[in-house]
Amino acid sequence: MKKITVYSTPTCVYCVMAKNFFTKNGLEYVEYNVAEDLKARQEMVDKSHQLGVPVIDIDGEIFVGFDKSAISTALGITG
Amino acid sequence: MPYDIVIIGGGPAAVSAGVYAARKKAKTLLVAESFGGQSIVSADIHNWIGERSISGIVLAEKLEEHIRGYKDDVDIWSDRVESVTRSASDTNLFSITTKAGKSAEARVVIVCSGSSRKRLGITGEDRLDGKGVVYCSICDAPLFGGKDVAVVGAGNAGLEAVIDLYPYAKKIYMVNRGATLKGDAVTQEKIKTFPTVEFIFNAIPREIMGDSFVSSMKYKDIVTGEEKTLAVEGVFIEIGSIPNSGLVKGFVETDEISRIKVDPRTMRTSVVGVWAAGDVTDSLYQQNNIAAGDAVRALLNAHTYLHSGK
Repeated sequence: MKKITVYSTPTCVYCVMAKNFFTKNGLEYVEYNVAEDLKARQEMVDKSHQLGVPVIDIDGEIFVGFDKSAISTALGITG
Repeated sequence: MPYDIVIIGGGPAAVSAGVYAARKKAKTLLVAESFGGQSIVSADIHNWIGERSISGIVLAEKLEEHIRGYKDDVDIWSDRVESVTRSASDTNLFSITTKAGKSAEARVVIVCSGSSRKRLGITGEDRLDGKGVVYCSICDAPLFGGKDVAVVGAGNAGLEAVIDLYPYAKKIYMVNRGATLKGDAVTQEKIKTFPTVEFIFNAIPREIMGDSFVSSMKYKDIVTGEEKTLAVEGVFIEIGSIPNSGLVKGFVETDEISRIKVDPRTMRTSVVGVWAAGDVTDSLYQQNNIAAGDAVRALLNAHTYLHSGK
């Protein structure tokens, strides 16, 4: 199973959509609240070179925003 | 078999048309990348009739649940329509093609593709997008804790951005092109009580500056003609929207700012068999309730057309 990390804020709707998408597809993920966790925020900036959420790390492949089709492709999810 | 109706979009207009289509037992396809429309990013909507208060994402979930309740009558594709043309094989039909490469035919098309966020179009905006330039205030406001920021735009979206930022930002400059705030009076009154908000009127943003992240924004004071610079680490851009009418460009008539021209009595476009509703049209006022109502009018008129040919 691929390792999924979600960097999010509590108010971010696209983060919620992403997390719901992983849950619906039975995928586990680790989540960091970058509004409070400054170490995780720095990690997110280092990985994505930007400050917007969500940032999703799938086995080292970085996605900024919830691009459902690109993320589906990376995870081999169809339909 | 062609569909009776193809509905394009997933906001309040598209879902309203879809629900009414289902109740008319029309064979319907709805194509939407996501549900909820632009207010999905709103923390709290107070004017969706029937709800004193509802968040954008809950509204989106309710809209999706409502239309998915009619699965026997309405097919739903999670996809984006890229073009609408007349069918090559039958001129009484329209053909749509999607981003995923799928296509479908229908006797009637209802375009509810909404609008997208407008950009300022100034130097630095694209380069620093996501690096302090923000288009989703509710998403990213918590990342600006203790920082000075600017909000550009004085309509409801600008006012809401100030509310999103207020618990976090140290100082909020609200930069407005006009001489007064716009947007709902209730929200205006609320933000006028915030001590960390400073209003800058008659100001036109000129450039967003910064190396890897935003460090300042330059604007012109149109009364004095002076150029001034604000030291800010965030620029939240909330200046309205542009219609998502590219999919029918050159096919139906649009106005000078690319909104689909509709007859306000029927929501018909310039092409017989094609209707449009919501923020993609030149209808007055961009409101969820109006989009929903206009789409119902479109659907009912389209239904009459399907049965009478007129």
